[in-house]
Amino acid sequence: MIIEGKQKIWADYQKDIPDDHYFYVRSCIRQAFWPGSEVTFLDITRNKLGKDFYENPYHTTCGGIAYHSDTIPQETAMTIIARQFALMHESGYENYVCSCITSFGCYTETLETWHEYPELEAKIRQYLWDSCKKEFAKPKYLAHASDIIYKFRFEIAKQMKFPLVNVKTGKPLKVVEHIGCHYSKMFPSKGFGGAEYPHVLVGMIEAWGGEVVDYPERRQCCGFGFRQYFVQANRGYSESNTHKKFESMEPYEPDMIITNCPGCPYFLDRWQYVIAEQTGKTYGKNGYGIPALTYEEVAGLVMGYDPWDLGLQMHQVAIEPLLEKMGIPYDPKKKYQGLNGKDLGQPMCPSCIKSV
Amino acid sequence: MEYRFKGHLVEELYKDYRIKEGMKACMNCGVCTAVCPAAEFYKYNPKNIVNIVARKNEDDMEDLLKSDTIWYCGECMSCVTRCPRANAPGLVIMALRKLSMRSGLYMQSEKGRQQYVVVKDLCSNILNYGYCVYPRTFDYETHKEFGPVGKWINDNLDDLHARMGSNLDGDGPGGLRKIPKESLDQLKNIFDVTGATELMEQVLGDAHEEAVKENLTDEEYFMKVYTENDWEKHLNH
Amino acid sequence: MKENILIIGGGAAGIEAATQLQKMGLTPIIVEKSEKLGGHIAQWDRLFPAFHPAKDVVGQMLDNVKGVDVRLNTEVADIKRDTDGFKATLSDNATIDAKAVVLATGFDLFKAERKQEYGYGIYNNVITSLELEKFFRTGKDERIGNPKKIGFVHCVGARDVKVGNTYCSKVCCTTALKQACEMKEVFPNAEVYTFYMDLRMFGPGYEDLYLRTQKDFDVKCIRGRVCEVSEDMDGRLVIKAEDTLFGKPLKMTLDLLVLMCSMEKAKSIDKIQQQLGIANNNDGFMQIKDTYLGMNGTAKDGVFVAGTCTAPKSLPDTIAEARSVAVEVFNYINNK
Repeated sequence: MIIEGKQKIWADYQKDIPDDHYFYVRSCIRQAFWPGSEVTFLDITRNKLGKDFYENPYHTTCGGIAYHSDTIPQETAMTIIARQFALMHESGYENYVCSCITSFGCYTETLETWHEYPELEAKIRQYLWDSCKKEFAKPKYLAHASDIIYKFRFEIAKQMKFPLVNVKTGKPLKVVEHIGCHYSKMFPSKGFGGAEYPHVLVGMIEAWGGEVVDYPERRQCCGFGFRQYFVQANRGYSESNTHKKFESMEPYEPDMIITNCPGCPYFLDRWQYVIAEQTGKTYGKNGYGIPALTYEEVAGLVMGYDPWDLGLQMHQVAIEPLLEKMGIPYDPKKKYQGLNGKDLGQPMCPSCIKSV
Repeated sequence: MEYRFKGHLVEELYKDYRIKEGMKACMNCGVCTAVCPAAEFYKYNPKNIVNIVARKNEDDMEDLLKSDTIWYCGECMSCVTRCPRANAPGLVIMALRKLSMRSGLYMQSEKGRQQYVVVKDLCSNILNYGYCVYPRTFDYETHKEFGPVGKWINDNLDDLHARMGSNLDGDGPGGLRKIPKESLDQLKNIFDVTGATELMEQVLGDAHEEAVKENLTDEEYFMKVYTENDWEKHLNH
Repeated sequence: MKENILIIGGGAAGIEAATQLQKMGLTPIIVEKSEKLGGHIAQWDRLFPAFHPAKDVVGQMLDNVKGVDVRLNTEVADIKRDTDGFKATLSDNATIDAKAVVLATGFDLFKAERKQEYGYGIYNNVITSLELEKFFRTGKDERIGNPKKIGFVHCVGARDVKVGNTYCSKVCCTTALKQACEMKEVFPNAEVYTFYMDLRMFGPGYEDLYLRTQKDFDVKCIRGRVCEVSEDMDGRLVIKAEDTLFGKPLKMTLDLLVLMCSMEKAKSIDKIQQQLGIANNNDGFMQIKDTYLGMNGTAKDGVFVAGTCTAPKSLPDTIAEARSVAVEVFNYINNK
């Protein structure tokens, strides 16, 4: 592999991200399945980087999951989005940052479609007024939350306590980076590094001392598929896609996977458990899986946050081997505890894959 | 068979902005099918779908909208990145699905009938909680892949989210906060004004009608549609 | 004084135009930026459709052009119109006063790294058609060891709105089949595949080449554009395409991938082209006066064009245009 070839492509797809004063909207999936990630994101950006991240409590889902499950018309999704933009405008902000990748894709698609078809934008303005008596302004900047961490990755590196390095061997950790499809597949110019060699997660890995793993199915969707997951009869599609990725990355022996979409780590994590139960196969060593983390979890680990504050106990695949590789201390007794050491019991152990 | 837009399916389809965006003209190069995850696993070929739509034949369109075929796509949009004519099969699929539902033809296919599940679950989550996915309605029994850790999460939901720093069902900002009633009312108004309520009521109504026809309760029908899978018919094997 | 005709570019078009203009009694002057005449065709090994050695044709053309004033390693630095025609200042500070200018500046090969998903410049075993031709001519390319499975990708940088070139580059299909056959000659036990959307075999003998490719050389032609290329653990290439005639996606592991890159107008002439006031057409090539009866003319009096600077074309096309531009220039000089 000739790395200079990739670096030139990354240089071509740079995008403007503002320095401060962001309007933050949450992700349905991230706040439900990876709550520690959003908490950590706001702690890093507000308290460690000193940035203004404002959350308007009247904001809702963007409707993206419903839109891509074909349960709501395009006009509905666009009007919900217009309402979010109205809240941003009412709160006095113009830099819009969303936590979910499907959201980012929907916001980008909406803005681009309005640009191509102004009559549709006019129609949505009318719908928003009729339904909410609100008017909206389009954001000056639209970014995904991972773009912000990417932008400040060197500042984070300065505060880094645990680089992405195997402390026993001294070698960089091998990290698979998995970009959410809706980040840049529809509009490559809207993602750092474009669609073929996205740089948003590569930049983080390299700034924090890790080594990127390239493998044949790197660009492949994790298989969420919206209705292909929500309806049980279709779930084989979702699992098959994840399975394909793991079969492809296995020879490279990655230490971990970093993702920027909130759904992808859910699938990359849980389908490993299902594959192990169905076939007995695991992709890590000695019956372990490969941890699939959110970028907030990775940023938190390198900055020295407690793994259980980050929410790593909410993954099915065990995180402990990775913590040990990185030399991160952790208290196994506290893993499944609630507030103030409250005993919440423990999950059962799966039969074919290790979870501690 | 009577159905809405009969004789005007093609005309109605081409009003969708996703057709305007996604149908430029296909030169049959096949890169969309090459990259498509659904084409690998299912009897699915996005290039063929685009060709059928381009032919603008009313009978073929009816067949397409009645088929399982249009429901195999996972909307990953990998096809959009590569198409050398700037087509977007993924967007075309979304327009086809919408028309299939509005016309009622979706009820003719096993995968089409599954829309009852997603419409019911996701729309109720949005209207009741303001989120597409909400932990109290994500149950372990029907999502066993959530894993033993998932069961533990659900069994300790309030304690766990308190520990994690969420604001589950709370006032003010924070993860999983209670969305203020004013916002939920506005979402309902948006649904009403933009046709989502109409679509939702139609789908719930179609499901109920079908349940009655099959002598099932709504719940039984839901579980049937949720699990029924004629995989030999669907899979590329 | 014999009339000077400034010919910018010493490739096939420039050489042939100069040869004819000299015979017609005018004074062509070729300004060529590289160290020798012959342009791209001099780098070629064999020509389609019948594997004719390029050096024979080039050699003959170089013979024919003897006696013409040629300035090698020289570019036109500046050009302006004056009362008598044009005054050009060359990069060596010499000046030329010419009655007419012929732009015969040819093409650049599409930079394959722009088609990011094919991994040129990132994966070692992805090469361009030009690099392969060089391998046939010299026998040397460290990326080409003993490949067992070789693929040819048509339409790289052509018929593709995503890289900004929607035109067809005309000659790559014939070149691909020619090179596929030549590959089988060098590596008779290798499996050779070409991945095409259409097979544009437009000239005399070209369809026969297609038949030979399949029948005599056992090259397998798959109708499906290559979608993406990745590298596996062993450095082999994994490609995805659809076998459109069967309607099924396919994945194939290859040892070598050859990208049939399109022609783009050579960019080094941009400044002079602008000074002369010659616009580009929608495909980025020089705008000709008229498709049917004005293929050598431009919007500007006294400025003529020939060869691949106006569109992708084959060597016979180029030579024909070079001869016709000589007629146009001659008529222009004599006010006909």
